[in-house]
Amino acid sequence: MKGTLKLISIFGGLVLWHILATRIINDTALLVSPLVVVVKGYEMLFVTAELYPHLYASSWIFLNGMLLATLVGVPLGFLMALSPVVRDYVNPWMTALYTTPRIAFAPVLLLWFGIDIASKIIIVFLGCVFPILINSFYGMRVVSREFVEVGRSFRLSRGALFLKILLPASVPFILAGLRLAVGRGLTGVAIAEWFGATEGLGYMIFFAGQTLNIPILFVGVAVFAILGILGFQILKIIEELATPWRKGFEVK
Amino acid sequence: MVRKDLSRGFLSVLGGLLLWEVLTRLLLENELLIPPPSSVLRTLWKLGSSGALNRHLFATLFEFVCGFSTACVVGILLGYLMGRYRWFDDLMDPWIATLYSIPVIAFVPFIIIWFGIGLLSKIIVVFKITAVAIMLNTAAGIKTIDPSLLELAKSLRLKPFETTYKIRLPAALPYIITGMRLGVGRAMLGVIVAELMAANAGLGYLLRDASETWDSPKLFVTVVLLAAMGMGSFALIRKGEQKLAPWRETAEW
Repeated sequence: MKGTLKLISIFGGLVLWHILATRIINDTALLVSPLVVVVKGYEMLFVTAELYPHLYASSWIFLNGMLLATLVGVPLGFLMALSPVVRDYVNPWMTALYTTPRIAFAPVLLLWFGIDIASKIIIVFLGCVFPILINSFYGMRVVSREFVEVGRSFRLSRGALFLKILLPASVPFILAGLRLAVGRGLTGVAIAEWFGATEGLGYMIFFAGQTLNIPILFVGVAVFAILGILGFQILKIIEELATPWRKGFEVK
Repeated sequence: MVRKDLSRGFLSVLGGLLLWEVLTRLLLENELLIPPPSSVLRTLWKLGSSGALNRHLFATLFEFVCGFSTACVVGILLGYLMGRYRWFDDLMDPWIATLYSIPVIAFVPFIIIWFGIGLLSKIIVVFKITAVAIMLNTAAGIKTIDPSLLELAKSLRLKPFETTYKIRLPAALPYIITGMRLGVGRAMLGVIVAELMAANAGLGYLLRDASETWDSPKLFVTVVLLAAMGMGSFALIRKGEQKLAPWRETAEW
């Protein structure tokens, strides 16, 4: 009973969409039936296999950007949490970078790094790094007050205090930050591939948009949605496995 | 007395700008790669006094305000219904969740194809992005209301309308504002993307114009303006948050 209404909603929505596309609008340059989209997706996956190079290019950019963001975001977040001097000096620049719509940096980065993969990875990096940094920062800050006292009373050295208390206690926050970063990273991929790319899912979508190829446009959007949900769920599972002792830590 | 963190921040900004100015003047022969701050400022002044800037700034702000305000009304309304009625939530959830997980930018081509390249398509982009964020958060806020508050309403014999107006909505307010804050960032990205793709005015258009003509000072002016707009809207939301929900700790960013 619980899921039936959802199923009805999905099914009903698809039927409405189909009717709208085939009976009312009836213009393949505006909207196509979901059936056409599914057929096109099947074709691109199993017949022509044209989806894979795009998928591969986008994943490569995404993973590199995420990795770089983690390598920079986590230590910088820790550093800012532990040292108020670093925080005060970095803060204004970070706020400016964080609140500026990322797409504004795309042309500038293109100017500096060319249309190579480097500029694309940096765009993804810019998207991912802030949720990771902010969550690491909060993790370290929130935790330190509670557990540091315990560590002190056990006379832990500073290094041991960091490794044994601060770091493990902020893991759930870092993972939550990574989870938030997935969506922003995917948007970053799409932005990056829009400027001067020759392959990738973003490129595929924009090319389809320019040529009014609606089925491919829908397939691209669907792939993005699936990747987003998949990444989110994978990180959720990792989160549960890595930190079985607590639930639900994130800074929105 | 000046607060220590503020003076450090000020020092950091001033030092950074000075370093930028000196380095670009000393090391670079032309302004193509990185124009010095002084030439960015000069270009800003030139664009501002010619009136071109006003036109673009106004277009973007107009699109943003129109989309955002409609999204607030619709988002809170639908979010409230989703939070109150289980069947409505089940009905909406699959579609809303899908809409939410699609990157903003993958959506823009559709909206341009369907609604043209004028103001309307940008307003719809802003609306779609913000409404979904507000809807999801409002629903969460309404759902997670403290049951003791509802019991209080019952014992005070509040009418259903009063319960909604005086208990449920204020309790959900922090969530609604979180939704707005999430919406602002994403919507700003969306409107710039839409303007970049197809428009004849707006900051996104300016960005594209500058990058296609290799006009670096103009490009940097646009980036600075977008940064200012981003920071301004975040500051506004935070102010609103403090005013509307003062009991709530605000996040530092």
